[in-house]
Amino acid sequence: MTSASISKAEKSYIQAGLLTSPPRRADGRSLHDFRAIYLETGVAPLSNGSARLSIGRNPLDGSGGTEVLAAVKLEVENIEEQTLDGGRIACNVSCSPSAYPHLSSGALDDLQHDLTTVLHQTLSHPSLHPKNLGIIPRKKSWLLNLDLLVTAEAGNIYDALFLAARAALWDTKVPRTRSVEYKSPKTFLSASGDMDVDQDTRSGFDTRHVAHATDFELPDYWDEGEILEGRERWPVAVTLNLLHTAHFLDATLQEEASCASRLLVVYSHESPTAYTIQSMRMLGSDELSIPHLKKLIKEAEGYTRSMATSLTTKLEDEDFRRNQKAREKFGRRK
Amino acid sequence: MVEITIRKRPQTEAVITQRKFFKKTARGKVVKVLRERYLRDDVACGIEGCRECSTELSRLLPPSGGLEHRLFPNGHYILPDTNVFLAQMDLIESSLFNPPMILLQTVLEEVRHRSLPLYNRLKALTKSEDKQIWVFYNEYRSQRNCHIFPEKDWKAPADEVVDQEAIQKNDDAEDSGEEGDENDEEVFSKESRVLSGSSNQKPPSERQPTGRIVGIIKRNWRAYVCHIDSTSIEHSHSNHIPLHSTVLCTPRILACSPEFAYWTVSAPDSPGYSKIFSYDVDRGTPFFGYSRRTLREGQEAEQESLLLEFEVPYRPFGKAILDCLPPEGEQWVVPPKGEFDLQNIWRDREDLRDVIVCSIDPPGCQDIDDALHAKLLPNGNIEAGVHIADVSHFVLPDNPMDSEAAARGTTVYLVDNRIDMLPSLLGTNLCSLRPFVERLAFSSIWELTADAEIVSVRFTKSVIKSKAAFTYEEAQIRKDDPNLHDKLTNSIRLLNTLAIKLKAKRMAAGALNLASPEVKIHLDSAESSDPIDVEQKELRETNSLVEEFMLLANISVARKIEESFPQTAVLRRHLPPPKTNFEKLQDILRKTKGFSLDVSSSGALAASLDECVDAREPAFNTLCGEGYLRYADVLVHRQLSAAIGSTPLHATLHSKSHVERVLDVVNRRHRMAQMAGRASVEFYVGLALKARGEQARARGEPDVREDAYVIRTFRNGVGVFVSKLGIEGLVTFKRDTQFDAENYTITVPGAKEEVKISVFDKVVVRIEVEKDKNTQRGKVKMTLVEPVDSSAF
Repeated sequence: MTSASISKAEKSYIQAGLLTSPPRRADGRSLHDFRAIYLETGVAPLSNGSARLSIGRNPLDGSGGTEVLAAVKLEVENIEEQTLDGGRIACNVSCSPSAYPHLSSGALDDLQHDLTTVLHQTLSHPSLHPKNLGIIPRKKSWLLNLDLLVTAEAGNIYDALFLAARAALWDTKVPRTRSVEYKSPKTFLSASGDMDVDQDTRSGFDTRHVAHATDFELPDYWDEGEILEGRERWPVAVTLNLLHTAHFLDATLQEEASCASRLLVVYSHESPTAYTIQSMRMLGSDELSIPHLKKLIKEAEGYTRSMATSLTTKLEDEDFRRNQKAREKFGRRK
Repeated sequence: MVEITIRKRPQTEAVITQRKFFKKTARGKVVKVLRERYLRDDVACGIEGCRECSTELSRLLPPSGGLEHRLFPNGHYILPDTNVFLAQMDLIESSLFNPPMILLQTVLEEVRHRSLPLYNRLKALTKSEDKQIWVFYNEYRSQRNCHIFPEKDWKAPADEVVDQEAIQKNDDAEDSGEEGDENDEEVFSKESRVLSGSSNQKPPSERQPTGRIVGIIKRNWRAYVCHIDSTSIEHSHSNHIPLHSTVLCTPRILACSPEFAYWTVSAPDSPGYSKIFSYDVDRGTPFFGYSRRTLREGQEAEQESLLLEFEVPYRPFGKAILDCLPPEGEQWVVPPKGEFDLQNIWRDREDLRDVIVCSIDPPGCQDIDDALHAKLLPNGNIEAGVHIADVSHFVLPDNPMDSEAAARGTTVYLVDNRIDMLPSLLGTNLCSLRPFVERLAFSSIWELTADAEIVSVRFTKSVIKSKAAFTYEEAQIRKDDPNLHDKLTNSIRLLNTLAIKLKAKRMAAGALNLASPEVKIHLDSAESSDPIDVEQKELRETNSLVEEFMLLANISVARKIEESFPQTAVLRRHLPPPKTNFEKLQDILRKTKGFSLDVSSSGALAASLDECVDAREPAFNTLCGEGYLRYADVLVHRQLSAAIGSTPLHATLHSKSHVERVLDVVNRRHRMAQMAGRASVEFYVGLALKARGEQARARGEPDVREDAYVIRTFRNGVGVFVSKLGIEGLVTFKRDTQFDAENYTITVPGAKEEVKISVFDKVVVRIEVEKDKNTQRGKVKMTLVEPVDSSAF
């Protein structure tokens, strides 16, 4: 994803800056500093959960930066033979052409496909699957569509996508359902004792039709449903931009263009102490020795942990803002 | 410059100003509905001198409330709910009744929803001079909007909570619009009454909830075949043809109400079956559309109605389809190798004409779709081959024949008829691996050790020349004849030993054998198709031989194409049987433990039951590669052909959605075909029984008696399964017996003492066929002979 084309001189200038001691970056950050991240949840009221996230937006005029919009839409799905019980997750990333004005539509499609693949493979992994996506066992379940839209890009798209995805999934509420059981008169035959000779064409050996819930209804309830089970598990990604033995985080477009390879590591932090690596991906052409890779993966855990902690804090804050605070503010209005 | 003011509520206040709720659509989807709430601070309560709301309007309610009532000396307001207006409108209208009243907007809207005339009267009242009614727009008042705590935090007394729920329900009515909650409530109340009423009389297991249809969400249009009641036909005496008349019809399958009026453009002049296009429940009276044609009753009509009933396409093939066949027709032969092979048929085809191949099929089989061979290899291993007719050579993708085959999905077998998926030239000739002629085939050739371990497998297109076409019986006799040592016989013996070992392995791996007995119907002669007798099909070693090798071929091919086309591979899959399937059976077995289960099929079932529940064997993939009788097989052939690199895969087979769509049709057709086949067997069994009964009477025997097993028990009868005939029936008693639903037993009075009958007991039944007066359909009637004669009661 070389989105910015820069000259050789510019490239070597950026590289030299990053490798000096102390390192120098164009915006004055140190190697492991992030740009400011802005996050807002509940931005799409018709979705079941949504978030808007931007990295490196100019705080004064709100311009620039990488901006991602994520929304979750739940859809009722009949369980066919090939789908599994307990729901599915499908991720899709689309890139707005305005975010990549220099890319042809074919290249844009490729890019979207690459991003979708990484997101989908990581997030739809069974280890992360929320347990409350089922509606009626073996009949109906929720299909969770997670759609991400990149509206602007200024580097570090993977981290932004994963953060936005986590925020939207955190915000997701699954509508409450109640199973309804229709019982045909047949199932009552043996109970009522009345026998309708003509109706009975089903085999007595056929015991498959044990009465079961066949449909569901939506109970009247005050809120939008329950949160996804295990929402603490949704992972956080960090992209380590590799330059010789050093690495730096949150690259801008120019910085991305001037380093040959990147390592994407995705960790899930269920609690401050428990963590699992969910996915890892090497982007770019350079090779990496195993000891070096191990070291990087270990360091990445530290980064993602702090990201996950602050993201969780922010998300809880957002919940509070959108509910309690808004209500208080509204109450104070008069 | 004009200043632009956006008067929209800010997003930050969404929790207050937006109301979100979920709604289930008729198609079962869930949609989220978002409504903006227009909350205002200036909605007045209407009481004069109120400090909270300032208003300059006239006609306010007095601050003290009404003082007339002696129970409320300090004054009161009346705050009525909807039911007051629905039931006591006259009282409210009375000029003697005029205390100050606060009318909530919610109530007003609910009244409008329930009854428009009452709403108009109420509206007039609010405007009348001599009433003190203030309409309070509670929905729009900002203070009305408050946070509802989660249910678990509700600490209010129970009745208060109920009230709140009632309010919520009222709120809903406005959203759910025309869904008719009046009826719902009625049903609820009725249901609860029924439930509470019956609870003291019947144990919970016998209680039957009742309901009433309040609306049809989705109509399921389908054709019904009906029988027209001859007595209901009006014979018009005058010359004019009536524009329409009404006749009574009985649907052939009684899935809907037993009889309904049929509106026809011109009355059919005779009773018979007629195809009816639609059926529709409307206000409790079934009503339906028009008929396309009338069939005379009789065997043919029965068969045709069967096809209609199961939506089997049975029209003859059209010209466009027949044009896709090779122009040589019956004379088509495999061209000689070399320069005469203009169509390149021999390209990538192996010459297996010298291999000793034979086919084993049921007697009278015309579509020989598979053939087998086996021979010893010099290294002591065995080479075995399954050859399947190469239908994909003739059915090219995306031509009219292909589309027709895709739509038909499968070949349907009826007792006396076969509805082909492909024109019969292909099915019974060009794609039939007849003996002594060269035919195109797909061959899977394995090298197996003597213990039936697969050493290697390869797939190839080939040309074979079968050396013999055996029936199962002939093959069996040949195999068992110790004097025969020719190559063909040895080949069958070799295949048989391999099959036995393969089966043993499969069983050890936890395969489940749940076959029900197949029935064979003897027809008098090819022309008359009157069945004479019915018997259970005999299963020989050779049956299982063919089965085993087909299975082996299926599994091998499935692996191959799944490897090559993981996205679009056409596979047959058997999910492990869900545990609940067997719960009831388990319960019966547990409760009737102690009775010997001498039914071999159910015994096997019980044994395999434990096996499949415990072992949890993963789903076992096979391919539908059994010849060319289903369209899926054609797809498989194409995929396999591409997998072995002989032809490029057609573009449509690369698209997952296309394959899925095609297979949906195939699967549905297959189900329908199976049902049609079963119904056809049932019909013929009925006819055969009738014939047998007549013969028995001719010989002076009283009736037909058969052994049967009890499979279900009812208060007034038992369900039995006659394994010899493969049919199920019901034995009804006119009066009630002692019925024990929990233990699946009934107790009936016998000659000397009471007899207890429970599920899985062996009984003897008398079988008669009587014609239904109305539908003219032969119906099997069974009565119990042993252990007690039930004709007495």
